[in-house]
Amino acid sequence: MNNVDDPVDPLSVTAERASNGLLEAPAKIAAHNLNFYYGESRALKDIELVIKEKRVTALIGPSGCGKSTLLRIFNRMYAIYPKQRAEGQVLLDGENVLDARYPVNRLRTKVGMVFQKPVPFPMSIYDNVAYALRHYEKLTRRQMDERVEEALKSAALWREVKDKLSHSALGLSGGQQQRLCVARAVALKPEVLLLDEPTSALDPISTASIEQLIDDLKADYTVLIVTHNMQQAARVSEFTGFMFLGELIEFGVTSDIFTHPTNAKTEAYITGRFG
Amino acid sequence: MASPQALELSPVDLQGRRERRDRLLDTVFRYAVTVCAVFVLISLLGAAFSMLWGGRLAFSTFGWRFLWSPEWDAVQKNFGALVPIYGTLVTALIAMIIAVPVSFGIAFFLTEIAPPWMRAPVAAAVELLAGIPSIIYGMWGLFVFVPFMGEHVAPWLDEHVGPLPLIGPLFQGPPIGLGMLTAGIVLGIMVIPFISSVMREVFNTVPVHLKESAYAVGNTTWEVVWDIVLPYTRSAVIGGVFLGLGRALGETMAVTFVLGNAHQLSLSLLEPGNSIAATIANEFTEADSAIYLSSLIALGFLLFIVTFIVLAIARFMLSRLALRAGKIT
Amino acid sequence: MTRWQRRQFTDYVAKALGVVATAFGLFWLAWILWTTVSKGLPALKWGLVTQMTPPPGADGGLLNAFVGSAVMCGLAVLIGTPIGIGAGTYLSEYARHTKLGAAIRFINDILLSAPSIVIGLFVYELMVRPMGHFSAWAGAVALAFIVLPVVVRTTDEMLQLVPTTMREAALALGVPQWKIIRQVLYRAALSGIVTGILLALARISGETAPVLFTALNNQYLTSSLNEPTANVPVVIFQYALSPYEFWHALAWAGAFVVTMLVLVLGLTSRWLIARGKMTNE
Repeated sequence: MNNVDDPVDPLSVTAERASNGLLEAPAKIAAHNLNFYYGESRALKDIELVIKEKRVTALIGPSGCGKSTLLRIFNRMYAIYPKQRAEGQVLLDGENVLDARYPVNRLRTKVGMVFQKPVPFPMSIYDNVAYALRHYEKLTRRQMDERVEEALKSAALWREVKDKLSHSALGLSGGQQQRLCVARAVALKPEVLLLDEPTSALDPISTASIEQLIDDLKADYTVLIVTHNMQQAARVSEFTGFMFLGELIEFGVTSDIFTHPTNAKTEAYITGRFG
Repeated sequence: MASPQALELSPVDLQGRRERRDRLLDTVFRYAVTVCAVFVLISLLGAAFSMLWGGRLAFSTFGWRFLWSPEWDAVQKNFGALVPIYGTLVTALIAMIIAVPVSFGIAFFLTEIAPPWMRAPVAAAVELLAGIPSIIYGMWGLFVFVPFMGEHVAPWLDEHVGPLPLIGPLFQGPPIGLGMLTAGIVLGIMVIPFISSVMREVFNTVPVHLKESAYAVGNTTWEVVWDIVLPYTRSAVIGGVFLGLGRALGETMAVTFVLGNAHQLSLSLLEPGNSIAATIANEFTEADSAIYLSSLIALGFLLFIVTFIVLAIARFMLSRLALRAGKIT
Repeated sequence: MTRWQRRQFTDYVAKALGVVATAFGLFWLAWILWTTVSKGLPALKWGLVTQMTPPPGADGGLLNAFVGSAVMCGLAVLIGTPIGIGAGTYLSEYARHTKLGAAIRFINDILLSAPSIVIGLFVYELMVRPMGHFSAWAGAVALAFIVLPVVVRTTDEMLQLVPTTMREAALALGVPQWKIIRQVLYRAALSGIVTGILLALARISGETAPVLFTALNNQYLTSSLNEPTANVPVVIFQYALSPYEFWHALAWAGAFVVTMLVLVLGLTSRWLIARGKMTNE
């Protein structure tokens, strides 16, 4: 299944050649023997997965396959719902973050998330970005201004909003709101960014700007994106995992997955026969 | 803290300290809001218990007799709740006879008949009736409505309905205007907005496809409301009626002004009477003996129990529709 | 008459009755408001806010009653609102689908429509009897028990309207829940909660029965919260039932002021709700 780690697999060898040493990047997150339950029903089955540092990894699959569920395990977002639980291990830099002793808020400062729909808080643009910073860091007014500017720049929003930072964030367009959410997430300088179908509520132009942004973000962050749009996965990611019915069917270098899928189901999905 | 090392905390220490503080504050906040919520629970229990406690002297002195004795004698210190209970039930009954059909008519008008531009303002105006303080109803009742009843309605009833068999005795009496009928009518006006707004809201929860399919086979508007909307919303409509009944039973000031404050049992609705709430409001500050005061508080306890039951039924019936509506959509 | 004609006729009659019922309801509203305005407006005079309530047979104003009512209503809102917001927060954020939450919601709904006279007796037993005297504090507490369920209900409902995605987005930043509730969720639900407080204020400003047994009345302006305190509803009650024309006029003036206040508060809260709906869409 995990042909990335299998040196004798001929496809993998081709992939390595084709991807200019992509595989040599160190692992950032490793999921091991990961199972997930909604009450009694098992939504994820024995997931084994390695996410490489400062690369973009996409999770694709038909709706209901568990890709969003998997994403929401990495920052323990599921934990706010009493009937949901995860079993197994998710190692972030070698530490098991599913362990109840691992402080959930520390995890969430290291693993930021952007959701499907842009959800600006009902406050000014500046305060949106500064919100988590104010809780975690004691900064002077000037330092705070710098951090907000930096975050907005890395979300490619600075030029559009620099003159109206005190305006309500609710007045921004959908695409701007989503980039504001990215800025809010990166303001804390997390190590990993989880993007849960970040463009599905946006128009094509905003989608293009978010995709460009993802490309820029990988210089500093490990990015994990869930998308139902295969073209998007092909455009932005270096690694792709295909999920189906709660299982990770195939994982590998994106160009491989899209050109030589080893699994019949993957092939059926990416050629558009279902999903 | 005094040692020099402690002053320079490493980032890891700072992080751990903040995490502990965050967890502590989360717990504190959670407990604080839980205490507030439990306070709501306790306040209702506290109200019941404090009145039972305040009325213990009356209950222990008179026993069950308190419930059906028509005596109310401050001089002999002999108290019974029959007259106020009777007055409360009769005035509430009259109120419901008026308010239920009228409220249904208003809800029918606002959901099916009225042109859309008219609905919101008319609904708002009807609900303004609910906002007017009950003391205003009382003053209006005493200074305007009681004379009107005394001059026009009561004499007519006495003359034309009084002689009739069966219902006649209910409408015989002096044209003083004060009395059960007047109080019942004022109460009816007061509860109309409560019942009609519940009915209007639940009528609006009926799925459009149910109504459309009935219209499609040629039903008239009335038939759709009577055969589709009403059966669908029956439990919530009953809930709304009970909500209004709870209001009517416990309403104080309006009734106090127009009921006449007379401790007498009379069949005629044109005679003055008394209700539980009016008795308490009128006599509480004048109660000059412990048993008198205790009897008034015991009356309050009875009122509390009755309205609690009525309101509990109301909430139960309302929640049943909410449950079903939730499942369907 | 054919069957179809009969059905048409029934429909016509039913619709006519619906119109009549609505006219009937509005008729009383108009009559009561007209009475309040026509009797209250002529009774308004400058002396209302400069003179105390008069002794029997004399003329005077309502200054002490206005001050007493304002103080007690203000205290009641100050006491009832924080507890109400806390309880509403618990229901929405910590107990949305639990049995205890359902029980508290149920009890709160009953408290919401419980007869106010019962609240008056409760606070009489709770405070007036142990303290040995009527007081503004007791009146304020009685009114606070009426504010409480209104605020609990609106806070609960308004917080539940805040989309779950906003909670998730805030939690995903690693900020603790108590901070999120206070800084993000309250802000998102603010106009709704304010509306609830206004509605509660409208309700208590005319409440008579609860203050009758707790604050009673006072012919003078008192600066102590531990003394019997004048208030508009009880003054209206006593003066309306008195035999003096002066006093009737004062009662109508008080009634007019209270009614206008309640209507303004009611319309303001409606306007807030309507505005809130528009910005949400």
